[in-house]
Amino acid sequence: MRYRTLALLLGLLLVLAACGDDGGEEATTTTAPATTTGGTVRIGWGGAPADLNPGIGVLVEDYTLYELVYNTPISLDLDGNYVPELATDWYVSDDDLVWTMKLAEGVTFHDGTPLTSEDVKFTLELYRDTEDFVFMPSYFDGDEVIEAPDPTTVTITKEVPTGSFEGRMVFMYILPKHIWENEDPATFDNAAMIGSGSFKLTEYRQGEYLRLAANTDYWGGAPIVDEVIFQTFENADARVQALINGDVDMVTEFPATAIPTLEANPNITVATGEPLAPDLTDIIFNVTEPEDCPADDGVCTGHPALRDLQVRRALAHAVDKQQLITTLLLGLGTPGRAIVPTGLGVWFNDALEDYAFDLNEANRLLDEAGYLDTDDNGTRECPAAMDCGDQPELRFRLNYPEDSDTAPRLAQTLADWWRQIGVELQIQVLDSDTLTSVCCPSFDYDVIIWGWGSDPDPGFLLSVLTCDEIPTGTNESGYCNPEFDALYAAQQAETDLDTRVAMVHEMQQILMDDLPYIIPFCALSSQAYRNDRFVGWRDDANKLALEDPTSLDVIRPAG
Amino acid sequence: MRGRGLRAPPPISLMTRGSLFLRKIIWALITIFVVITFNFFLFRVLPGDPAKAGVKDPRLSPQAVAALQQRFGLDKPVLFNTQGGNLFDSQYFRYLGALAQGDLGTSYAYKSRPVTSMLGRALVNTLWLVLPAQILAIVLGVLLGLVAAWRRGTKLDVSALIFALFTWALPTFFLGILLLFVGSRYLGLPTGGRITIGADYASFWATAGDVLSHLLLPTLTFALVLLGEYMLIMRSSVVEVFSEDYILTAKAKGLTTFQIIRRHAFRNAMLPIVTLIALNLGFTVSGAIQVETVFSWPGLGKLTVDAVAQRDYPLLQGAFLMLAVSVVVANLAAELVYLRLDPRVTEV
Repeated sequence: MRYRTLALLLGLLLVLAACGDDGGEEATTTTAPATTTGGTVRIGWGGAPADLNPGIGVLVEDYTLYELVYNTPISLDLDGNYVPELATDWYVSDDDLVWTMKLAEGVTFHDGTPLTSEDVKFTLELYRDTEDFVFMPSYFDGDEVIEAPDPTTVTITKEVPTGSFEGRMVFMYILPKHIWENEDPATFDNAAMIGSGSFKLTEYRQGEYLRLAANTDYWGGAPIVDEVIFQTFENADARVQALINGDVDMVTEFPATAIPTLEANPNITVATGEPLAPDLTDIIFNVTEPEDCPADDGVCTGHPALRDLQVRRALAHAVDKQQLITTLLLGLGTPGRAIVPTGLGVWFNDALEDYAFDLNEANRLLDEAGYLDTDDNGTRECPAAMDCGDQPELRFRLNYPEDSDTAPRLAQTLADWWRQIGVELQIQVLDSDTLTSVCCPSFDYDVIIWGWGSDPDPGFLLSVLTCDEIPTGTNESGYCNPEFDALYAAQQAETDLDTRVAMVHEMQQILMDDLPYIIPFCALSSQAYRNDRFVGWRDDANKLALEDPTSLDVIRPAG
Repeated sequence: MRGRGLRAPPPISLMTRGSLFLRKIIWALITIFVVITFNFFLFRVLPGDPAKAGVKDPRLSPQAVAALQQRFGLDKPVLFNTQGGNLFDSQYFRYLGALAQGDLGTSYAYKSRPVTSMLGRALVNTLWLVLPAQILAIVLGVLLGLVAAWRRGTKLDVSALIFALFTWALPTFFLGILLLFVGSRYLGLPTGGRITIGADYASFWATAGDVLSHLLLPTLTFALVLLGEYMLIMRSSVVEVFSEDYILTAKAKGLTTFQIIRRHAFRNAMLPIVTLIALNLGFTVSGAIQVETVFSWPGLGKLTVDAVAQRDYPLLQGAFLMLAVSVVVANLAAELVYLRLDPRVTEV
């Protein structure tokens, strides 16, 4: 299993079932003899779903399964656009408070029961009100009045407007009311997993494999293949070997070092793209001002020099992001800028000017700010006028979690660069629990390398750096800027997409200027499939997710 | 006794043996209880709060955290409930109470799954892999060790020694990957898993063949790793026995080498091997962690590794308990076999 910091990563997968049909027709209209349907697709992956109950699952693999078995009202396509799924149309009232969704007709669950607006209303209320659910309640504000005036209409009336309606609806896996109303949602194991999606779960072996049969009665058009099997190969080399041998037809993830071997094989196609659920590596500075130090949990021992913007800018000039991408990701990445990852499409502000790698400029900035190496030991000291307590030298503690693959080399490389500008790093690896306890809300650190997973909507990531999140521990840097907070509140309530995008871009500019984080890179993902087994994989979109219904609904046997 | 080897053991009355047996069982039970208690508190003194591990998501509301803590009983005090009410209404005594009924709690990571059933299924899978590998390693290792000692100093002995040292020293995951590459590429063996998923075989034999083909590489890997140790211990043990006076006596009586080995050397030389088998059996129930990981074998070792990575404390606690019990039981079994094998053993 790819070990992600579970607590921090949201496994988010998005679907394109409705649009998948168009793609399917395109793919099949060329020539579709009777022999090229059916077949069993075998997929090798490193992890496995842990929970069949969509309220409880936290892993990426859980969400892959939900996407195949359930439908959501709205989905996000691989190019980053919100597209219809169960909801054929949706709109907001002039006062921005009442959202109306029109549902597709003739939708049935796997057990034959029709899916109506009552199921949607029931599901949304269940997700909002079940406190034991991990992520679902966070997609609601609690002020929603949900109604089902007729079988194909759902209205959601809010007290305050929301700008991320679509971003919330893409995770609302619609559950059958007639099954869930009789269960305790927090503990229901959902073994039968009755949904309305294009695949039905037929067998589930925890940590081993799962089998899904095509839903031949699927309201949006049945998949072409008969069955999909996901098999867990914990060891990455074994996974690669399974693809080469033909034990599996596709692998969802593998080490970048295997790419040359795979590309040399004529029967294997390697695809690269933005990950469907982007995740983010961040170099976090402790910039907590004394007056923002949390009263209950705060220790706030951050080095005072890191609260000096000039120092953070010098450090940013001493990071060669391209070099990191080449050595750490073997080229499979793009330089990060502010906290919104490149994979978020329109939300990512690509007009931001980054700090160029320039050690001379970094040295100049530090000289100019008065941080000089007065005792000639290779490490600069705080200016005399500044109170740096018992730590006059620019010697920072750097912590990172033990379960990170890239952080060890990233930390070493940073130490080499920063030493050249008279800044010393003391590197210490910590397990995630200990890292949490020094991080936040105690702020007992100087620099941390950690990460976040991202929703398709930037709202959550931006909330991380608001003043309100300092005492909760979500804001890891202690950054607090009223201007940023005002923009955050405004974009959350903005229903006009272009206006909201402009606000989100402005917020990224503020973060780029203020530098509470340095985002070294955004990793790309790569997948590979056997082109002699199945054809029609959607590997040409901006985002890559061959395990998504987008591909699995439309692939067909080769030859 | 003269000239008759070890055929006539000194008589031990049934009563002595019976009480010895009972004493050993009581000691084993006490050991297990101490381990249970130690494990329980171990996870609570380690850095990182287990009470928070199951519920530490920055996006969980305080109500959600409270609800989850209540579900896992984490809202109770650890040892004694001094906040009024029942003194024993604490996490520790609740754990003991549940344990007495065979309930190991619910996994944090897999929130709707009882630990007992997860461990049970993984144990079955592990035994499928470990038992054949152990038997193979013991039989081959003991035979090879015996032959090497018998032909001591010959090319056969040296080759066997090098082979044993090499396989013993080879890192398990490396050997596993090597065998996986060779076996899957050139012999068409499967790259991982327990069965061919979704395959519909006509006969029982076809199914058995599928299972065996999946079992072959992991079993071979594990057996090769274990074999060296058995061989080396057996060899040195037999070499030592060969230098004993009673072997000289046996030779003087005119017994053939085969008779000497069968009637005198083998039994005595087996004592250290029994110890080793017991220790290994106890520990292998913890699963052949590396073999299981390389071959995606859903056994106890893989489950334990996953539990560590996900900080799944109830599952870890259960896995540790199982490991402890199996080590204690295997040692107990070894002591009982000693009683049978070596009459000199009358007390500990």
